[in-house]
Amino acid sequence: MKQFLYLFRGGDEGYAQLSPEEMQNHMAKWNEWMIQISKTDEPVPGLPLNNEGKVVEKGGEIITDGPYPEGKEIVGGYVIVEANTLDEAVELSKGCPIFDFGGIVEVREAVDM
Amino acid sequence: MSQKPVNQLVDHFFRNEFGKAVTLLTSKFGIQYLEIAEDAVQEALGKAMQNWGFGKIPDNPSGWIIRVAQNKIIDYLRRQQKVFYATQVPDQAYHEQITSDEQFNDEMIKMIFACCNPKLSADYQIILTLKILGGLSIREIASALLKKEETIAKSYTRAKKQFQKENLQLELPEDEAINDRLLMVLKTIYLLFNEGYKSTEGEQLIRRDLCEEAMRLNQLLLENASTNNEWSRSLMALMHFQVARFDSRVDEYGLAISLTDQDRSKWDQRHITFGNRYLTTIENGIKNTYFIQAAISGIHCAAKTWEDTNWTYILMLYNHLYALRPNPVVALNRIYPFAMVHGAEAALTELNKLKTESSLLSNHLLAATEAELHQQLGDLQEAIKLTEKAIDLAKNEKDKIFLSHKCEQLKKAMIL
Repeated sequence: MKQFLYLFRGGDEGYAQLSPEEMQNHMAKWNEWMIQISKTDEPVPGLPLNNEGKVVEKGGEIITDGPYPEGKEIVGGYVIVEANTLDEAVELSKGCPIFDFGGIVEVREAVDM
Repeated sequence: MSQKPVNQLVDHFFRNEFGKAVTLLTSKFGIQYLEIAEDAVQEALGKAMQNWGFGKIPDNPSGWIIRVAQNKIIDYLRRQQKVFYATQVPDQAYHEQITSDEQFNDEMIKMIFACCNPKLSADYQIILTLKILGGLSIREIASALLKKEETIAKSYTRAKKQFQKENLQLELPEDEAINDRLLMVLKTIYLLFNEGYKSTEGEQLIRRDLCEEAMRLNQLLLENASTNNEWSRSLMALMHFQVARFDSRVDEYGLAISLTDQDRSKWDQRHITFGNRYLTTIENGIKNTYFIQAAISGIHCAAKTWEDTNWTYILMLYNHLYALRPNPVVALNRIYPFAMVHGAEAALTELNKLKTESSLLSNHLLAATEAELHQQLGDLQEAIKLTEKAIDLAKNEKDKIFLSHKCEQLKKAMIL
């Protein structure tokens, strides 16, 4: 079994249009999906990320407000998923609710040492 | 912070939280910050959605949302450089403040009174109530009220302007005035309920939400000693009885089913029990229109069949209602129970007296009731003629279909 990192990007513009009720439904969808792609009863491990952050360069000589100027590109969170192959990991990502609002999922295989 | 799984969040939590948080923050920062508070709470809920979807919610989700929204308002104020002292708002103190249910209830009731202020038109009252307290979006309100989204958006903007122009404060009227104002509030709540209940058109789920929202607001009034009285309890009883029949009053094609033909086993007994429980707390209901309507509704709910209904009691209640509200529509509604008690012949005499009311002559219900009485007397030809007249007069497409259906049945009966 290999490990894969899903990076979630975008979707925010669509989210801003949601009513409170729709937000709660969408949140429930995320949670269901994270349990569905997990090998256990718990959601896959991962964390959401705040948009605020800093980019540190040259050992701290340059510190800029980050992460990136382009809103669409900002990583909003990540999870770690177990799968046998990259194809399987991609397959599992297809149910991600982020696609409802035009966001994207980046699937990266963790190196097996 | 300890956490619990996200699926433990109660239904409509976000929607209810919206109203609660907007109310508390508006009361804290001032009515002029209503819009800012709305935006801040919307953003806070968005943040909650994105974070909590990962599986865990904070121990006090309600406090979390209010705190995040409050920080957003403070950020906004700082950016505006208007209020520097806002930075000193102690997080912890406020946290304690909001955990008191009693205080939350007080603030909500003040907001209900402000939204249902008679200085605002009934339409504005409903839209403000649904948007601010109900946490419904403009799109949802439009769908629930069967209006265009644009129309609702414009009305909401105007309603808010007037809200601020009239300088409506978040405060409860003084002792003397509170009962009168409470009646106005109850009126709006019942209007809201009826908006959800009356039509079988549109998406039923969101329409039922309107009914539930009206009941939730009434429930808040019942939790406060100064607004819990025989009127607010009677209205609650009435709404319970009516909502008990919510599903059975519509067929699979979205057409209304009359009380005569409803499947009584589908009536929600829990709501009926609640309705009865509230009714028994009313000691002096004879001048209370909500009590009388609730009692009529309660008798229908208690009857095993249409024929088994206690019509004598219903007629008596209608007589009382007419004495309080001598309007033609009440008089017309009284005809049917009158016929059940005194017979169709006598009821026709009563009905003919109403024909002097010009407002009723264009009402399809007058013709439909008259048709019903002729049917009971066995004069099918006259019944068909009057039903056709009712179809012509009916303004609503669903009413037309309902009556056409009835007309066909009468014609079939003629042939037999």
